[in-house]
Amino acid sequence: MIDSGFDRRDFLKVLGWSGAAVALSGCGNTSIEDGKETVVSYVEANDYMIPGIGVYFNSTCAQCDAGCSINGRVREGRVLKLEGNPDSAINKGKLCALGQAGVQHHYNPDRVREPLLRNGSKGETITWEKAYALIAEKLSGVQGEEIAFLSGGVSGHLKALLGNYLESLGTKNHFVYEAVAPGVTRAANVKAYGVDMPRYRFDKAQVVLSFGADFLGSWVSPVHFSQQYAQFRKGVNGQRGVLIQVESKMTLTGANADRWLAVKPGTEGVLALGIINALGMATGDVAELVKGYDKARVSHETGVSPGQIDKIAALLKLRSPSLVLAGSAAEGYAHGSQNAAAINLLNQVLGNVGKTIEAPVSVPFPQMAPSKGNTAALKLLNDGLAAGKYKVLFNFAANPVFTAPGAFKFKDHLSKAGFKVAFAHYLDETALQADLVLPLDSALEDWGTQVPEYMTEGAQINIQQPLMERLHANTRGMGDILLNLIKQKKADEYKGFEDYYAYLRGAMLQNKGALGGGGTDDDTFWNTTLTQGIVKLAGTAGALSAHVGAAGLTLPAHAAADEQYPLHLIPGVTANLRDGRHTNQPWLQESPDPLTTIVWDSWVEVHPKKATELGIVEGDIVEVTSKTGSVKAQVYLFPGIHPEAISIPVGRGHDAMGRYARGYGVNPFQIMDAVFERETGELAMHETRVNIKKTGQRVLVVKDEGSAGALQMGRKIAARVSTDQVDLSKEV
Amino acid sequence: MYRFLRFPILLVGLFLAVSSFAANNPQPALTTEDALGPQVVQPIEFPHNRHAGLRNPADPTNSDPLKGGMEINCQYCHTYARRSAVAGIPPLQKCIGCHQSIESVRNKPRIVELFKYWDAKKAVPWKKVHDLPDFVRFNHERHIKRFVEQQDRPVQEACGYCHGDVKEMTVARRQKPLSMGWCATCHEKDHPVVAEGGTPIAGQAYWYSFQKPVAQDKSAVVKAKGPNDCWQCHK
Ligand code: SF4
Repeated sequence: MIDSGFDRRDFLKVLGWSGAAVALSGCGNTSIEDGKETVVSYVEANDYMIPGIGVYFNSTCAQCDAGCSINGRVREGRVLKLEGNPDSAINKGKLCALGQAGVQHHYNPDRVREPLLRNGSKGETITWEKAYALIAEKLSGVQGEEIAFLSGGVSGHLKALLGNYLESLGTKNHFVYEAVAPGVTRAANVKAYGVDMPRYRFDKAQVVLSFGADFLGSWVSPVHFSQQYAQFRKGVNGQRGVLIQVESKMTLTGANADRWLAVKPGTEGVLALGIINALGMATGDVAELVKGYDKARVSHETGVSPGQIDKIAALLKLRSPSLVLAGSAAEGYAHGSQNAAAINLLNQVLGNVGKTIEAPVSVPFPQMAPSKGNTAALKLLNDGLAAGKYKVLFNFAANPVFTAPGAFKFKDHLSKAGFKVAFAHYLDETALQADLVLPLDSALEDWGTQVPEYMTEGAQINIQQPLMERLHANTRGMGDILLNLIKQKKADEYKGFEDYYAYLRGAMLQNKGALGGGGTDDDTFWNTTLTQGIVKLAGTAGALSAHVGAAGLTLPAHAAADEQYPLHLIPGVTANLRDGRHTNQPWLQESPDPLTTIVWDSWVEVHPKKATELGIVEGDIVEVTSKTGSVKAQVYLFPGIHPEAISIPVGRGHDAMGRYARGYGVNPFQIMDAVFERETGELAMHETRVNIKKTGQRVLVVKDEGSAGALQMGRKIAARVSTDQVDLSKEV
Repeated sequence: MYRFLRFPILLVGLFLAVSSFAANNPQPALTTEDALGPQVVQPIEFPHNRHAGLRNPADPTNSDPLKGGMEINCQYCHTYARRSAVAGIPPLQKCIGCHQSIESVRNKPRIVELFKYWDAKKAVPWKKVHDLPDFVRFNHERHIKRFVEQQDRPVQEACGYCHGDVKEMTVARRQKPLSMGWCATCHEKDHPVVAEGGTPIAGQAYWYSFQKPVAQDKSAVVKAKGPNDCWQCHK
């Protein structure tokens, strides 16, 4: 936010003049600086390495867990640009903006470069030998149950190695924590389909009805879904697929929908049952269950008009197969499992299971399958920390001090752990609390394998390989570190592996036959694997359970509004920032949010009607207060939010991590209440209630939208009609 | 403050800032046709004359390093120039490739220094002698294709258009201004695009046929100007 005062137009005018002045003074050959720059040549060069000409290597995107394959352009030993690897069935040569920013993770000026040991409030540089010795010392005499390892999702050989290390320590305390993960949906899927993440076939569906699943932006495997979505839009037999999005806060996917319906927060399940009722296709106990959900009641509870419910039911009947999705908006409530169950039930009633919902394939190596976890795991750890149970705590690929809901008081509890080791890329909020920080290689410098949770055609193991040499001499790969640590315990077993590369190669070659390399010699197999960057496997397909039932499905009665905290807080998960682990990549800060076009800052989405009621205009700084805490941010008036809710995007508001992250925006995790989903114990991310108050300050919202963008100034550049004027049954 | 005052004041301020910046940074005198660049100190004083210079007819065994060169083709070491836009610097491996079997100079200080880098597997931190601004994309490959491969000019002549008479130099030094005006002096000249007898020089005649009018002298040699679109260099 910048304080208004100097007009943008004036600024541009002046910029133009000074630009011209600089250009005039820059005539001649002043830019030639002979003898000042060093031109470093290769010591030894392969034939294919020619200065000025790029060489391409395949690897895997590590910006999120979707497992897109990347193809990096390397020139003069420097990686310059990432694109998708066309051979991957997941991303087919495409990459999302977050993936593109991977180079900024690698070249980031704020990466940790040396092992650091806490000395008071400072970190002191120490050697790796000393760091390893220190860990050994701290672990000696400590019981297994006094050791905890917190990590983000891990898969592949790293997961196997980590498992072995934890076993050698005699601990079972591995907490897998992803701040933004479809934890509840997974559990509901197991109940409905027998698998936690089935394969969704958007390309076969004629209608997609999504309850808050932002599959084009941030949900599960967005690059893959975007491509499926393109197929879906092209349609079967020329009939374009229709997307209906139901949610309380418009997501990127919602903005693409043919029909976007705002529901009262938390009533997604009610609407799903209402649609089942309106369809009139259910039998047995399902019919019994939905009997009470007549249009009048459903409309009253959800805020969706009876006409809309009729239209959706008519469309779903007309067009089959369809696909109904339960996304983060539906699962984020205390009754999230019930919501998701009602939505899955709609799929079953429509007969989509087996048609657009297929059994997934998985890799035939269960020890490499991704470990998953959500906030329930963190809660367990948090409780343990509060009770002072842990003497040694490791942290890898998670930043709980930033992402834990404020009500956890995680930072305070963390201080009760005896010795805290953080494997870190940045000095983020959690690393700052650690006693020992070990600097990690970037994903473009490290070796590894990755197994995505969401597979497409066939299973695949993704290869991660260095695209260039280490930038900083003293960072290490996580695999190498683990190998060193495990050697402290099981020297004999692992002495054959000089480094993680040797371990990885050895492990892959051992299973050459199963990995499709039977009959080739080791070097050929290994080189092909590295060249392709993907090992494709037939995989084993599970089976979906065909059980249709309404047992145990009860939706809570509509709760009365809380007088003190009348508004729902919806944490917005954006395609670029996700849970905020990459906020220090300036491209992500700089690229405008697709819906509000705001850059470098947080905002509070408020419905224009609500704003009028509260006397708020765009740019007002408001204080958003929950039971847990409060944050202050600028208001953005957004018609795509339910009037009873407000939304603040997550990912910004760091007070550490680096120069591009620190001090920009606010962190809504801080004010989240500890309300849990009843069946799974996951955090109900949408349950926090808040109120908003004006602070009296007002700023100019920095955004791309405006006369240069969305406002058409009466020029009718893109014609529009209100959705109520469209007869859905005729249009589509 | 009054709004209408704000803008002019800022403008004046900026103008002052820019002009004082310009005043503190005197422009180097615009170089003349053959003005030399600065003498650059290199980590190893590489003798171009010894490698590329002409042989001394009086010394057929080439035994006196001070008196004759070895007539090595520029492209033997600068192999990237014909394959890429940038010429790069030969890898250290290239130097060692020959020098590991030239015992006679093995103990000379420069060669000892060279092997020190090699043994440490470290690159020699050469300084750039020819540095164009980043908004200029000079393409070595195109020039070598045209002059050396298509027109069959001697390599040293072709390289020498921009780099001067390298066979006479020890450490290379910039010989030409390398300013845009200087580039244009060549690109504005009429060049033959067909060889004598009207044979097109590779694909050039086709390319030049788009440029009208094409000059034709008495010997029926078709001539045209070199590429002079802005984007050829400013991409
Ligand atoms: S979805 Fe984006 S960030 Fe995630 S793996 Fe794919 S390209 Fe990378």
